[in-house]
Amino acid sequence: MGLKIERDQNRFKQIVRGKIRQNLRKYVSQGEMIGRKGRDLVSIPVPQLDVPHFKFGKNGSGGAGQGDGEIGQPIGRPGDDGEGGQGQAGSDPGAHILEVDVSLDELAAILGDELELPRIQPKGRENLKQEKARYNSIRRTGPESLRHFKRTYMQSLRRQISSGTYNPDNPVVIPYREDRRYRSWDVVHEQVANAVIIYMMDVSGSMTEEQKQIVRVEAFWIDTWLRSQYDGLERRYIIHDAAAKEVDEETFYHTRESGGTRISSAYRVCADLIQREFSPVEWNIYCFQFSDGDNWGEDNERSLNLLREHILPHVNLFCYGQVESPYGSGEFIHSLASLTLDDPGKLVLSEIPDRDAIYDSIKTFLGKGR
Amino acid sequence: MTIRSEFQRQLQQTVGPGPVTVKALAGDKRAFCELDELDRFAVACRELRVESGALTNATLAQLQDLSTKLSGRLTYLLEPVSPIESDGESCTVQMRSNPPQRDDDGTRYYELLVRRGSISLRRWHAPRGQIRQPIAAELTREVTVRLVGDFGEAIDAFKARR
Repeated sequence: MGLKIERDQNRFKQIVRGKIRQNLRKYVSQGEMIGRKGRDLVSIPVPQLDVPHFKFGKNGSGGAGQGDGEIGQPIGRPGDDGEGGQGQAGSDPGAHILEVDVSLDELAAILGDELELPRIQPKGRENLKQEKARYNSIRRTGPESLRHFKRTYMQSLRRQISSGTYNPDNPVVIPYREDRRYRSWDVVHEQVANAVIIYMMDVSGSMTEEQKQIVRVEAFWIDTWLRSQYDGLERRYIIHDAAAKEVDEETFYHTRESGGTRISSAYRVCADLIQREFSPVEWNIYCFQFSDGDNWGEDNERSLNLLREHILPHVNLFCYGQVESPYGSGEFIHSLASLTLDDPGKLVLSEIPDRDAIYDSIKTFLGKGR
Repeated sequence: MTIRSEFQRQLQQTVGPGPVTVKALAGDKRAFCELDELDRFAVACRELRVESGALTNATLAQLQDLSTKLSGRLTYLLEPVSPIESDGESCTVQMRSNPPQRDDDGTRYYELLVRRGSISLRRWHAPRGQIRQPIAAELTREVTVRLVGDFGEAIDAFKARR
């Protein structure tokens, strides 16, 4: 049976989870947790959560049994007859917003529940294995942090009984050094499904900082969900204006170019990357492309050909998110619409006019469960 | 005779209601102005273009420089115009109203393309959620002539620097 504090802690976690769920759309839209991402935990401010605390009354200032009242007279509350103060604002710091740490897995589960995202069905590849450490054995040596107290006690007890030093009337068990037992691990090979996400972003002159922030927030949530679905998740980043290149994550989010928009350049790099490093037989490949769709006119046909012939046949899912250009001039999504007829489930299109649309866009992208 | 004065003379001789194309030639510069409508004071201009052989072999960097200088001249369109994107493959600099004009009906903006051989101006309208369409820019006759003059002078300045 669990301790009472564990029950309380679990209940507290449920309350926190409920609060996060209530405000998920806000968190998704505002991207408050971007940058707070730790190795596995994300700190989420939960300002609406009241932490239980004691409230003290005012002693010696009237009330039951202390005043001059008659029998039957209503009891006034302390301080009722006082006048409102006109004090100045305090100089002490105000109340802090409570922040709770939630693991990315929990966050992904909340996101999945709330958006009703289906579990992704990975391509079965039984020959792909990953080494994992499982703490499932006991050794005589090890670090003190891994000492197994129960086993150590049992070993001491066994030694004392067998050597006749155990006294049931004075059941003191003192472990010797050689009694100590430590948890240890075995390396196990687990079958895993490998997945790669290839992000592509338009960083041409027409993409503003706001548009790139929308992309960043959406990519974070997509990342969170897909990481919860796969063990070995690779991420690759491609940026492009008129030319494309593969970059690291930092560069992906912070680059501002001024070149023209040629989406075909990104598709060419993406197709090369798939061909060079991610065999479609062994990898689940997800592509997420974000642009304002303001492609230079004659490039549309070239882009569609590359997508149709060199990318779509190899990927689980290709998602194109078109963030709204300040000029409302994004036309590429209309060109892509013709391709959705070929394989309706594989190519997913979403228009993202502003931050509020991120939530629905994620559902559009990941709601397919592919 | 400058391209500005020649264009002004041609425009004065053009009578409405349109559509009509006004053409002017001065030295190595040619001006074309496609008008949907015109009256005594104003025109509805579908496209305004000034061509010059001097720009035929321009590099992208030279066109970017020309665009930057041109954006400093075009201060009378009510919407500031500045370079937005440059495309090396087609050697073109795209300039647009920055910021564009937004209202309940969508977004409207000028777009200038500075490319090898020409400088052109069009106006676009992007209704919400729909594909953008070219629309006629409503300009006074004076502003139209001034635009042709500024395009011509930008080309002259480019030739002088080269």
